[in-house]
Amino acid sequence: MRGPSTFLKVMGLVGFIFLYAPIISLVVYSFNESKLVTVWGGFSTKWYVELFRDPQILEAAWVSLKIAFISATLAIIIGTVASFVLIRFKKFRSKALLSMMITAPLVMPEVIIGLSLLLLFVAMENLIGWPSGRGMLTIIIAHATFGSAYAAVVIQSRLVDMDLSIEEAALDLGAKPLRVFFDITLPIIAPALMSGWLLSFTLSLDDLVIASFVSGPGASTLPMVIFSKVRLGVSPDVNALATIIIGIVSLGIIVAALQMNRGKKNG
Amino acid sequence: MSHENATPDTQPWNDPKAVPFLQVKNVTKKFGTFTAVSDVSLDVYKGEIFCLLGGSGCGKSTLLRMLSGFEDVTSGQIIIDGQDQAGVAPYARQTNMMFQSYALFPHMTVEKNIAYGLKRDGLPRDEVAVRVSEMISLVQLDKFANRKPHQLSGGQQQRVALARSLVKKPKLLMLDEPLGALDKKLREETQFELMEIQENLGVTFVVVTHDQEEAMTLSSRIGVMTDGQIVQTGTPHEIYEYPANRFVADFIGSVNIFEGRIVEDEVDYVVVQSRETNTDIFVAHGVSGTVGQKVAIAVRPEKMTISKDPLPDMRNVIKGTIAEVAYMGNRSVYQVQLESGKRVRVAHPNRTRRGAHTLTWEDEVYVGWAGQAGVVVSQ
Ligand SMILES: Nc1ncnc2c1ncn2[C@@H]1O[C@H](COP(=O)(O)OP(=O)(O)O)[C@@H](O)[C@H]1O
Ligand SMILES: [Mg+2]
Repeated sequence: MRGPSTFLKVMGLVGFIFLYAPIISLVVYSFNESKLVTVWGGFSTKWYVELFRDPQILEAAWVSLKIAFISATLAIIIGTVASFVLIRFKKFRSKALLSMMITAPLVMPEVIIGLSLLLLFVAMENLIGWPSGRGMLTIIIAHATFGSAYAAVVIQSRLVDMDLSIEEAALDLGAKPLRVFFDITLPIIAPALMSGWLLSFTLSLDDLVIASFVSGPGASTLPMVIFSKVRLGVSPDVNALATIIIGIVSLGIIVAALQMNRGKKNG
Repeated sequence: MSHENATPDTQPWNDPKAVPFLQVKNVTKKFGTFTAVSDVSLDVYKGEIFCLLGGSGCGKSTLLRMLSGFEDVTSGQIIIDGQDQAGVAPYARQTNMMFQSYALFPHMTVEKNIAYGLKRDGLPRDEVAVRVSEMISLVQLDKFANRKPHQLSGGQQQRVALARSLVKKPKLLMLDEPLGALDKKLREETQFELMEIQENLGVTFVVVTHDQEEAMTLSSRIGVMTDGQIVQTGTPHEIYEYPANRFVADFIGSVNIFEGRIVEDEVDYVVVQSRETNTDIFVAHGVSGTVGQKVAIAVRPEKMTISKDPLPDMRNVIKGTIAEVAYMGNRSVYQVQLESGKRVRVAHPNRTRRGAHTLTWEDEVYVGWAGQAGVVVSQ
């Protein structure tokens, strides 16, 4: 087979530079001694040190991690249930509709998701008094909502691939349905659950728009803090923070991809 | 109809007092408007290897899945060991199944796969260990006990699946195309192993296959299926020698079919006039037909004789020309063009190395068969 033409290679390279040059420059400048973002003043890790002295940042990072952890866990549970309903149940009338609704958050503009959730929360508070006010809880619910869309996609693809007769074999050998789920199904879809969780986790960590809509006083996530800081001018410690986030996100994506691959080989 | 000396011991189906171990009574299965299994009735006796034989998509797997409890019956009744299986969940049935896809648990080792069913029965740990290791030796997988399924070859996976379904010593074991993934040689070896295991453990087998040779080798009796129906049930010998209809004759082995009309109908013989032969065909058994009725006569290629000389001692002799010769090692198969234009296949054993008569293309030959060789089959 012939390799790609020179033209394709060049275009590929240009594409990669376009995508990654800003990220690389950000990482490089996070180690910049100078306070000026655009002037190189020698290598230093002082912005990282400074970052860890900033209570606002630390507080926001902690809030973000908590939200990401809880919402990713919720997303996996909702995503698993939805996937089972969509893949395993016999055809029911509103199946196509449900399938569309589950995946809608993947394509819906974030502004609209954020706005509609905000309206929902306000209306609910007026009607039933819950959730009272907006803060971490509302962000968690919002993130779980769109995280479950991603989780459902990942889990569904795994469930579709799974040979149903494996579960039937377990039933045949005397295991009751619940037992089959925990002994057989869960271990087999575990890699998908893991990668779905990591995906929801990083998406939650990443989200600015939806969180801004549904958050309230006292619940600022990391992206929100960064955004407000940047509006006062880009400072090098934001670069350092961004570098750390990039590190965490890439790690998450790599682990998720590895999990999916491992799952494919085993099943 | 039985053509052998019925001995009730080895042929419980000929013993009116014998109680079937598995009874399938008028079972029908519909998927929506599509009928996958249509009014099937079947009796299987203890210790049998019963083969369900039929082409792909004829409903064999569906029937097995109803016996295991994975599909509900649309109508009809399934009785295993005297118990009506209606409403009995798969995990509560005294049956085990070896799946067409093997369905091994991908995240468990060979050992754990085999132990799974015993653990579900709550057997003590050491007993589980003993029975699992016995079973692993039986299927010769000792070296692979700690491997995961994806580290095994197709043949080894098949053995794990067999061991896993056998280890609980089920009263009834169902095997769905158990040897499908094996190559011919391994398949033949495994067939004999299966028969040996079956004899040693005394388990009743229901085996699904689309391979007629496999069915002939393995089974005590065969049920031939097509379009969701069982068209004939009988011993391999009965099915081969006395096919009930044209489909069965065609499906099991190769056969020559002559179409014609009954011209003489006596108690112990019939004579059939066929446009495909110049002479009338004599069949040495009576049929429940009438003169003038349209019938087909089936004659197996190996029951025909071929010769350059006239065959005076054969009841049926037709002249023809050799159109094709296929050398198969132990025998040669000749395609002979009859004067009517019809072609028949004649198999001739190669007893000597050079072949006693050196028949070849374009030779004028006589094809003959005895009165007992042909059978009248319904269309
Ligand atoms: N769950 C199902 N829904 C609809 N049709 C089915 C289902 N299972 C089997 N069938 C149909 O029933 C027929 C018999 O299938 P099967 O029993 O698997 O055949 P085989 O004899 O090859 O094992 C096939 O035409 C198949 O398409
Ligand atoms: Mg099948």
